[in-house]
Amino acid sequence: MGKVLIIAEQSEIIRKGLLHIIEGFNLFTGIREVTCVAALRDAILRHHPNLVIVNPSLVNSDALDSLRDIIPDKKLRIAAMVYSLFDDEHINRFDEVIMINDNRTKLQKRLQNIIDKTPGKALPKPEEALSARELDVLRLLVKGMSNKEISEKLFISTHTVISHRKNITQKLSIKSVAGLTVYAILNEIISMEEVQ
Amino acid sequence: MINFGVLDICQNLQDNGSFTIDNSDFMNQMIISGNTKLADIVMQDKRSLVLLPRFDIDLGFGDRTVKQVCQQKNIHTDFFLLMVNVFLNKNYFPDRKLKNLDVDMLLRYLENSHRYYLEEKIPYLETLIEEFKKVVKNPATLQLEKFFRQYIVEVKEHLAYEDQTAFPYVAALSEQIKQNAAHFDDIDYNIGVFEQRHDNIEEKLNDLKSLLIKYFPPSDDRYIRIRILNELMDFEDDLINHARIEDKVLIPIAEQLEKKIS
Repeated sequence: MGKVLIIAEQSEIIRKGLLHIIEGFNLFTGIREVTCVAALRDAILRHHPNLVIVNPSLVNSDALDSLRDIIPDKKLRIAAMVYSLFDDEHINRFDEVIMINDNRTKLQKRLQNIIDKTPGKALPKPEEALSARELDVLRLLVKGMSNKEISEKLFISTHTVISHRKNITQKLSIKSVAGLTVYAILNEIISMEEVQ
Repeated sequence: MINFGVLDICQNLQDNGSFTIDNSDFMNQMIISGNTKLADIVMQDKRSLVLLPRFDIDLGFGDRTVKQVCQQKNIHTDFFLLMVNVFLNKNYFPDRKLKNLDVDMLLRYLENSHRYYLEEKIPYLETLIEEFKKVVKNPATLQLEKFFRQYIVEVKEHLAYEDQTAFPYVAALSEQIKQNAAHFDDIDYNIGVFEQRHDNIEEKLNDLKSLLIKYFPPSDDRYIRIRILNELMDFEDDLINHARIEDKVLIPIAEQLEKKIS
């Protein structure tokens, strides 16, 4: 199943640096960047990430809990990107800690660790995994949107939407929206509440 | 494996009332004729079991042959052999025998198939899905159940349309011809409408299969899922066959009847 990461960090150097290194790992099908908590909330709601890497100074303990509650059905992992001194108690509330002096291998190991903790999900062969764009289309599709609505929302042509749908059906061998909805819930692409 | 063309089979059928069934297991070829014991057919191929009630034949027929049982039940032996062959042999498409086929008998067969789906197959699948929901604790199970229930509604609509509109139309056509009616009373329908509307209801079963085979994570329920899949695939085969009989037998016959009347 495709995995989505959101990086919440104000410093562009750190953000882009993380993005650049993590992209090379091929662990995620989609990576999004945000710079403040409000944008992070919004991004979690929209993209249903598996993991968020956040600067601990952006979120206090309460904010951390409320981020985890945004998508009730899905266990959201939150890692701290630490490059200044923080109280241990605060840092312990994160699922993983990434240090500024971690090297590439160590960072990969930490990320792999968190992803593997997500229970009961076997990674399909890469050629069968949905692309980030296909995931976007699938998510909107199972919310009951038409091809036209999806095309407007994602700023792509209906023709492209249809071709994404074709690929999704081919990869998953599921044709109907009702069947895709079950798949999306199974793989935590969407929560039960979001299905109308 | 001997491969009979359509014509060969029909010729054969006309000559001596018997033909070879290309059993999907080709080592297991079997000649079915009017003189074959019905019990032997059922013993050889379990798929023939579900056909019996469609001819209103009940188990317990002893050593009687196909011909004897058919006579007793007022079924044309040729019709019985034709349906058995279509059902058990994927590559068999009837052609020449259609002209002599008894329309009422065909409609009764199709309606009885529907009854089997509605009274036996679907309720059993429903109890299995119910059981699955109890055993497999996953939020997606509820959605699967919803999907299944929607699907059943579609199947029932499909069957009801055929029972209430398409089949009575063909029955009326056949009745008019029997009574030698000069012209057909104005019924605003033709078999072309049915042909167009005849969508594949078995398609969604494939989605259910994919979900259960590939995507539901392993759980403690080893057997329930296998039971469901067994039933689904069985149902799928049956529906595909049923659609083939409608497309390859019912529709051509209705077209022939329409031509006679116009």
